[in-house]
Amino acid sequence: MQLTIKATGENVKAISYLLSKNPDNVYERNHKGHLVRLFYSKFTETELEVTIFVTPDPIELIKSSSNSYDITHYINDREFAVSSIFCSFIRSALGTALNGQPKEEYIDWVNHLFPFEFEFGPVVSTISDEVLNELFEPIGYQVTITRPEIDYSFQMKEKSSVSYISLKGTKTLQDGLRQLFILIPVIDNYKHYFIDEKEIEKLERYGEGWLEAHPMRDMIYRQALRFKEVYSQVENTNLEEKIEEPSEKIRLNDLRYERIVETVSLMKPKSIVDFGSGEGKLSVRLGFVTGVKEILAVEPSESATLKALRRFEKVTNKEGFVVPETLWGSLFYYDERLKGKDVMILCEVIEHIDEYRLPKVLDTILHDYQPGALIITTPNREYNMVYDMDDHFRHNDHRFEWTRAEFYQWCNERNLRESYDLHFDGIGEEHETQGFPTQMCVFKRKVN
Amino acid sequence: MQIRIPYAGIILLVGPSNSGKSTMLKNMIDKKEIQESEVISSDEFRVLVSDIEFMDWDGRPKDEADTLMDEYHEISKEAFAMMDSVINARCRLNKCTFVDATHLHPDDRKRYLSIARENNVPILSLVLDTPEEELLTRDEQRDNPRGKKRIKQQYQTFKREKRYLKKEGYDSVYTIKETQDLEFVRQANPIEKDVQHGIDIIGDIHGCYEEMILLLEKLGYQKNHEGLYLHPDGRKFVSIGDVMSRGPQSLKTMLFYYEHVQQNLAYMIDSNHGWKIARWLDGRDVTLHHGDEKVEEEFKEYELQVGSEKAQETRRALRDFLLHAPAHYVFTKNGVQTLVCAHAGIKDEYIGKQSQAIRDFCRYGDTDGFDEKGKPVRKDWSISHNKSSLIVWGHDPKPRPLLINNTINIDQGVVFGGALTAYRYPEGEFISVQAKQDYSGADDNPLVEWKMNRLNMPNIGKFINGYSVLTEDLGEVKIHQDTVKPAIDTVSHFTIPIEQLIYIPPTMSPTPTPSSLDDYLEHPKEAMDYYRKNGVQTMIAEKKHMGSRAVLLLFKDQEASKKHTGIESLGVIYTRTGRRFFEPNTEKKLMLKINQELHDHAYFKQYETDYVLLDAEIMPWNLKAKELISSQYAHVSENAILDRTKLKEKIKSANGGNEELKAWLEEYNQKLKNAHTFKEVFQKYCWEIEDVNSIQIAPFHVLAHSNQTFFDQPHTWHMEMNRQFASQSSLFVETEFKIIKGETSENEVIKWWQDITSEGHEGIVIKPEFYIARNRGKLLQPAIKVRGRKYLNIIYGMDYLLPKNLERLKNRNTGKKQKLALKEFALGVEGINRYVNEESIERVHECVLATLAMESDPVDPRL
Repeated sequence: MQLTIKATGENVKAISYLLSKNPDNVYERNHKGHLVRLFYSKFTETELEVTIFVTPDPIELIKSSSNSYDITHYINDREFAVSSIFCSFIRSALGTALNGQPKEEYIDWVNHLFPFEFEFGPVVSTISDEVLNELFEPIGYQVTITRPEIDYSFQMKEKSSVSYISLKGTKTLQDGLRQLFILIPVIDNYKHYFIDEKEIEKLERYGEGWLEAHPMRDMIYRQALRFKEVYSQVENTNLEEKIEEPSEKIRLNDLRYERIVETVSLMKPKSIVDFGSGEGKLSVRLGFVTGVKEILAVEPSESATLKALRRFEKVTNKEGFVVPETLWGSLFYYDERLKGKDVMILCEVIEHIDEYRLPKVLDTILHDYQPGALIITTPNREYNMVYDMDDHFRHNDHRFEWTRAEFYQWCNERNLRESYDLHFDGIGEEHETQGFPTQMCVFKRKVN
Repeated sequence: MQIRIPYAGIILLVGPSNSGKSTMLKNMIDKKEIQESEVISSDEFRVLVSDIEFMDWDGRPKDEADTLMDEYHEISKEAFAMMDSVINARCRLNKCTFVDATHLHPDDRKRYLSIARENNVPILSLVLDTPEEELLTRDEQRDNPRGKKRIKQQYQTFKREKRYLKKEGYDSVYTIKETQDLEFVRQANPIEKDVQHGIDIIGDIHGCYEEMILLLEKLGYQKNHEGLYLHPDGRKFVSIGDVMSRGPQSLKTMLFYYEHVQQNLAYMIDSNHGWKIARWLDGRDVTLHHGDEKVEEEFKEYELQVGSEKAQETRRALRDFLLHAPAHYVFTKNGVQTLVCAHAGIKDEYIGKQSQAIRDFCRYGDTDGFDEKGKPVRKDWSISHNKSSLIVWGHDPKPRPLLINNTINIDQGVVFGGALTAYRYPEGEFISVQAKQDYSGADDNPLVEWKMNRLNMPNIGKFINGYSVLTEDLGEVKIHQDTVKPAIDTVSHFTIPIEQLIYIPPTMSPTPTPSSLDDYLEHPKEAMDYYRKNGVQTMIAEKKHMGSRAVLLLFKDQEASKKHTGIESLGVIYTRTGRRFFEPNTEKKLMLKINQELHDHAYFKQYETDYVLLDAEIMPWNLKAKELISSQYAHVSENAILDRTKLKEKIKSANGGNEELKAWLEEYNQKLKNAHTFKEVFQKYCWEIEDVNSIQIAPFHVLAHSNQTFFDQPHTWHMEMNRQFASQSSLFVETEFKIIKGETSENEVIKWWQDITSEGHEGIVIKPEFYIARNRGKLLQPAIKVRGRKYLNIIYGMDYLLPKNLERLKNRNTGKKQKLALKEFALGVEGINRYVNEESIERVHECVLATLAMESDPVDPRL
C-alpha cells in the first residue's frame, strides 16, 4: 500500500515543509509492528517525488480481526491494498499536511496551489472505471487507471483485479490529501471495517469545501458509512431494504397467504404445521385462525427463526392470537412431534428441494405423519410466459418449476395408498391459457 | 434331612426366640457350610446401631416400661433399615443371605419376599418348629432371658402363622423339627457354565434342521454312531432359542436338542416360541399361530407314525425340556463371567439371575406397545448395556450379525430365506449357512421389512439435543447440541441425499510439533518421530496430491444403487463437506465413463461387489476452487506483485548511497521474489479444463465393497489397488509412495520430499503401515501430512519464511486438530462398517452427521 506525491514546477521544495519531512532522511515509524515509511526519490528545485508506504506485519494484521476460521482470513489483499487501514496507518505521518499546520514560517504555502500528481495503489475496487472518473473529475483531476498484465497458465480471469491510480490536478496539498483520505476508503472493496460515528465528523472535516457540492456526494456518503445505522444519522431518506421483487409478486405472496389461511380456516383445525416457515409470515397469519390451539413453525435456519420470533412477539398480545411454536426441524428427518396433526402446509417449499428427494419426503408426511390435510403450493411454470421470463425460474434456488399437468400427475403419484382425496386450485390472477401464477393442491385424508 | 441352598437369594429363618436359629447357623459356619458374612442377624444389627442387644422392661413401673419399649422399637426400626439395605445390596449382587430373626409377623416376611422379587432372586424359608417346653428351658439358660411371658406369646403367634407360610410364595419352605441331622447342599448357579473348550452359539433355527446340520458340520462337529454331534476339541453348541415353529422340521430339531442337552453336549435357551409350545404341550389353552401351528401338524403326523403312546411320551419329555430351559446362560472364562446368551435380550441387572420377570424379558425383549398392524414395537434394550460382558442374542432377524454396544444379534432369519449364523466363542468368528429357501411363507418377512425400512429417514429426535456415537475404535464420541444443528442444516440444504452420504473423510493433522530446523515449518522427521515413538516401525509415505478431496461411491449398475441407496444412479462423487462435487451433467458423464471402464475390466465381477467406495483427491485444483483461486490467490498475488514492484522501482530510483534505502531495496527485492513464488505455487495445481479427460482422480483408500471393508489391510494393499484403478481407467492416476523402514529409507523419504516439494508439489502424507494403528491400546493418528516449504506459502502467506514470521508461526498448536482427526477417523470407519453391514441408514447417518458436526467446530484452517 503506497501513495506517491509528485509535483513539478516552481517552489516544489516547499512541499517538504508542508509534509514536515526532511528530504535527506527516510522516515520510519513502527505502528504495532507495521512500519510506516516515507522517502523522497526526487527532490530538485522543480521536481519533487515522495512516497509513503506501509510494510505491514502480516501476522499482526490477521490477529486483529474475527472470522479467523476461514482460510480467506489468512490469505487476503488487506496486506497490500490501499484502504481505510492504509489511511489510518499514515494519518499521523501526514498529520501536519492534513491539518495545514506547518511551522509558522511556511504557513503561506498551505493555500498554495501546486500541479500535483498523486499515485496510489494497489486499488481493489468493484467500482467501474467510469464511476471512478466521475468521482475524481468533478474535483479537478485527470484520472489514469492502469492494471498489471496477467499471464496465468490457465484461463481464470479476463483482467487483473487490481489497479493503480494516478490523479493529476492543481491543488493545495491539504485538499489533495483530504480528498484522498475520504475517497480511498470509498473506492476500496473492504466490507468488514468497523465504522463508528467519528467517521461522520471526519467526512465533514475533510470534505469541507468540496464534498457537499460533489455530484456523487450521496454515493460517497453511502460508501464511506457502510453501516446503515451511522448513515441514517446524516440522511433522512428512508433506508428500508430496497424492494427487489416487482410489486406484482409481493401481491401474489399476500394472495397466497390469504388463500391458505382461508382454506385452513374452513377445515377448523386444532393443530397446524407450517413446514419451511422461514420468517414466519404465514405462521403469524395462521395464529389468528379461529379455534386453532397449536401452530408448529418448522424451520432449520436459525436466523430466519429469530426473525419469525420477533414477528410473533409483535402480535402476541392481540386478541385471539395463538403464538406459533418454532420447531427446529428438517424435511429429511423423521420427527415424531409432527405425527397426526390436523393440517400441514408446504407453502412454496417443494420447488427448493431436488426433485428426486421429494417422493420420500412426501411419503413420510402422507403415510407416517398422516395429517388430516396437506396443502402444497408451488409456482405454475406455464405462467412464467405471462411474466416474460423465458426459461428462467422465479428464484435462483428453485430446483424446478412445474406445469399444471406435471404438478397434477406428481401429486396423484404421491397418493399411492389412495388414503387422500386431492383437490387442485390456483392462486393469483388467472390467465386465459396459462392458468394461475401459483398452483395449489389440498390432500384431504379420507375418513376411515 | 437335606436342605438345598440356592446359589443366591434370601433364606429366611422363621421361629420364636430360642428355637435354635442362631445355633444352627453357627454350626453351619463352624462346619464351613456357609460363610459368616452370609448371615445377617437382627440382634447383631441392634448392637451395631445402638450397642444394645436386648432390653428388659419386665417389672418396671409403667412410665419407665413405656419409655424403654419406645426406645427398643426405635432401635429395632433403625436396625432393620440397615439390615434391609444390606440384604438389598447382597441380592443385587446375586449373593446368598441367611436372615436370622424371628419373622413371626407376616409383614416382616412380606418385606423380604418383595426384596427377593424386586431383585429377581429366590427366597426360601427355614422354619424351626421347636416345642414350647424346649423354648422355655433354653430361655432360662441364656444370658438375657426373654422371659416366660414373651416366649409363650411368641409361640402362640408361631403356631398360628406356621399354617400360612406355604402359601406366602417362597420358592421352598423347609420345616425343621430336629436340627441334629441336617444336611445342607449348596447349589451352583445352574445357568452359569464354564466355556471350557469353547462354545458355538447358534441363532434362531425355526425348524431348519438341514441348515443346522450343515452349520454344525461347518463348525467341525462330527456325527457319532449314536447319531450325536460331537466336536473333536470338546466344544459345545448353544441354541439361542426358537429352534422350532415357522420352519419345516420343528419336531426333529427339538428332539435333536433334547438328546444333546440330556447328554450334556449342548445347551438350549428358553424363547418366545419355545415357551408357547411348552405350554401347549402342557395342555394349556394357547392359540397356535406365527408358525406354531406347523408344530401341531408335525405332532399329528408323528402320532400317526409312532402311535399315541410313544407320541405321548415324546410330548411329555419335550414339555419338561422346554418348560425348564433357562432364560439365559452366563458363560465364564477362568471363573469370570464374560459372555451372556439370551434369546431376545437381557438387562444388565438380570444377568445370572432367574425369575418370572427375567424369563419374560429374555423371551420377548423390551417392548413398547404395539404398532398399527398389532405387532410389538421393539425397544432397543442394548443401549442400556453398560457391563463389559458380551451379550449374544437372536429373536429379531437382521440381514447380518449386528454388533451394537457389546451385544451381537445372530438371528439372520434362516427360516425367512436368510442365513443361520453361529458365533464362535472365544474366537469371535461368525460362521453361517445360507437358507435353502424361504420356509416361512409369511407376508411380513422381517428380512424384507428390514431392507425396506433400512432407508427410512433418520429420526431427528435422536440427534437434535446432542448425542453420542459408540465407535469400535475410539469408544464413545460425543457430539454437542450446538454443532449438530448447523450440521443438520447443511444436510437439509446442501449435501447429497442422506442415503448416499455414507462417509465423510476425516480431517488430517500436520506434524504434531513444528520442524526443529530453522528454516522449515514442517518436516517429515517430526512425523516419523511421532510414529516411531509410538512403536510403529514400518510406515508409508504417499505423495499428497493438491486438488480437492472427494469421496466416490461407484455402483455396479442402477439396480445395485437402488438396492443400497434407494436411488437409481451409477453413483455419486462428493466433497468432504458432503456436497455434490460436479454439476449433475458432468457427474453423469464421469459416472458413465468410469462405470464402463470398470466393467471392461470386470472389476465388480472380480470382487463380487455391488459397489466400491473410494477416498480420493480430484485434480486440478481449479476444478472446484476456481472462484477461490481467482478471488483470493490470484488476486493477492496481483496485489503483492504490483505493490512490491512499484516500491522496488521507486526505492531504486531514489538517490543512492542512503544505507537505509539500500536495506529497504534488499527487503523489497526479497519480498517481490516471495510474491512471485506465491504466484508460481498456486498455478502448479491448476490446468486448463477442456473436458472430462482433463480431470484426474487419485484414489488412495479403497474403503469398502458391498461385502467387506478394508480397514484391516495395510496401506501397501490400498496403493496396489490404486495402481490397479489407474490401469483400468483413464481418469484415475497413480500415487507415488515409499515404504519407511529404518534410517536409510527415512533419509530417502526426506530427500524425496525435498525434491518434489521444491518443484512446488504439496507434500507427502506419512501413515503407519496399517490402516488402524494403536500403541498400548491408544489409537494413533491415521495419517500425518508434511507439506512442502513452497506450498506453505499459499497457506501461511508469502512471507511466512521470514525469520520473524516463522518464529511466531512455530507456536501453532495441533492438539485440537489431532483430537478431531482421531474422532472423525473412528466415526468414518464405524459408519462404513455399519453401511456395509447393511444397518439402517439412521445408524450410518449418526456417524456422518457427527463428522459434519465436528467440522462446524472451528479450528485454525491453516493446520
